[in-house]
Amino acid sequence: MTVLVRLALLAAVLALWEVAGRAANPLMAVPPSAVLPALRELLLLRSYPDLPASLLLTLREIALAYGLAVAAGLACGFALGMNRLVGRVYGPMLAALYAVPAVVWYPSLMLFFGLDAASKIAFGFLLGFFPVTLAVLAGIRQVNPQLVTVARAYGAGPVRVFASVMVPAMLFTLIGGLRTGLALSVIGVIVGEILGSKRGMGALINHAYGLLRTADYVALVLVTLVLIVGSDALASLVERRAKRWTD
Amino acid sequence: MTASPQLIAIENVTKRYITSSGPVEALHEVSLAVGEGEFCTLIGPSGCGKSTLLGMLGGLVTPDSGRVLVDGRPVTGPDPRRVATVFQDAGLFPWRTTLENVEFGLELQGVRAERRRGVATELLGPLGLRGFAGKYPRELSGGMKQRVAIGRALAIDTKILLMDEPFGALDEQTRLLMGEWLLDIWRRTKKTVIFVTHSLQEALLLSTRIAVMTARPGRIKSVLELGMDYPRLMESPGLVALRAKLWSEIREESLRAMGGHL
Repeated sequence: MTVLVRLALLAAVLALWEVAGRAANPLMAVPPSAVLPALRELLLLRSYPDLPASLLLTLREIALAYGLAVAAGLACGFALGMNRLVGRVYGPMLAALYAVPAVVWYPSLMLFFGLDAASKIAFGFLLGFFPVTLAVLAGIRQVNPQLVTVARAYGAGPVRVFASVMVPAMLFTLIGGLRTGLALSVIGVIVGEILGSKRGMGALINHAYGLLRTADYVALVLVTLVLIVGSDALASLVERRAKRWTD
Repeated sequence: MTASPQLIAIENVTKRYITSSGPVEALHEVSLAVGEGEFCTLIGPSGCGKSTLLGMLGGLVTPDSGRVLVDGRPVTGPDPRRVATVFQDAGLFPWRTTLENVEFGLELQGVRAERRRGVATELLGPLGLRGFAGKYPRELSGGMKQRVAIGRALAIDTKILLMDEPFGALDEQTRLLMGEWLLDIWRRTKKTVIFVTHSLQEALLLSTRIAVMTARPGRIKSVLELGMDYPRLMESPGLVALRAKLWSEIREESLRAMGGHL
């Protein structure tokens, strides 16, 4: 039933888009009937032969940015969360930094890291880092202290308490943060590429858009969308698994 | 019972806690000896340090002065080979099934999966949890959860079982039934039980000895010996008399704990 409604909605949107697209200035909007051929040209590597290379570069940047964000976020989160003093001193600063729209940092990232992949990775890292760190902090607060006492009473040392109590108890929150972090790392990398770069999906989008090749532009956005939706679907699958496991 | 060797010796222990409103003395020079196979109940007003005392026996709380000996050796930390604890609100791991919760202590001791599964499965029968092996704590009633927690303690098969108000959160009927069930387990396993409760009835029906504690700072006010056979009836003349005596002792302390007025 949901599938049918969803398909109906999709069809309606496409129909509306077609009608509106035909009526509008072709430089600003294109109907699906124009996007489809452009998409075919794109996928057959005729309009943008460097699509695979760009896609791969963007994926590599995302993987690196996200990997670093997870590693640093976990380390930072546990360091702040396990030590009450450190957490009380730095926790609020972290939350305040998170509230700043991260894109304001991008110009200085470009200055530091240049126009190539490094600045995109840095920006993706910056965006992904906060939700992971904050999820670890929230997760640690969620752990029922009684369960830690129980584990200690039954002979668990610090390592076992961490592995057998802390991690499972906070897993769901943690995975939620990891999922948000992934989404934001993806956004960071692509936004970074759009704002200034010569390669990657963002650069292609920028190119098509700059030359007012609107149909190509929409086709490129669609490909990028598949990438983003795909990564989020994967993350949501993992999250649902974890939910069934915890609580 | 009195002739049995002293398994537990609490000698002049004192414990202070630092709170935001200054230091609070939870226990003051408490001494108590418990022999092997006893069912010794600690009873007293809220905040009298019963749980602190139990924590010391379990190695989770260190006394400021005095010492606690189990089997003649001073307690320096949790020792799950000699002492198992059942906590007030079960404290089950929500991500573990009944069976996995019961196995927890054995897992920490490095017992092989196959063997600990066997031990835990065998326990499910007497725990009344057969058919619930694969259920998660959220799928169990309060009484069942507490039985899983007791199962977790029984699985590591220690001489000593510490129980901190294990049935405190249960309704009275469940509580009475759980008491009967525990009595049966205790008589079969011949463990030494230290039991904390607020319930006079529970104390009178289960204990071989009852130690009444004073209002804070906690001290042992008096120790009652109960020689009656099991199962006991609250209506029996001996228990009625003991109940009156116990109540008068506890009443005084509870009043003191409340500052002299209700």
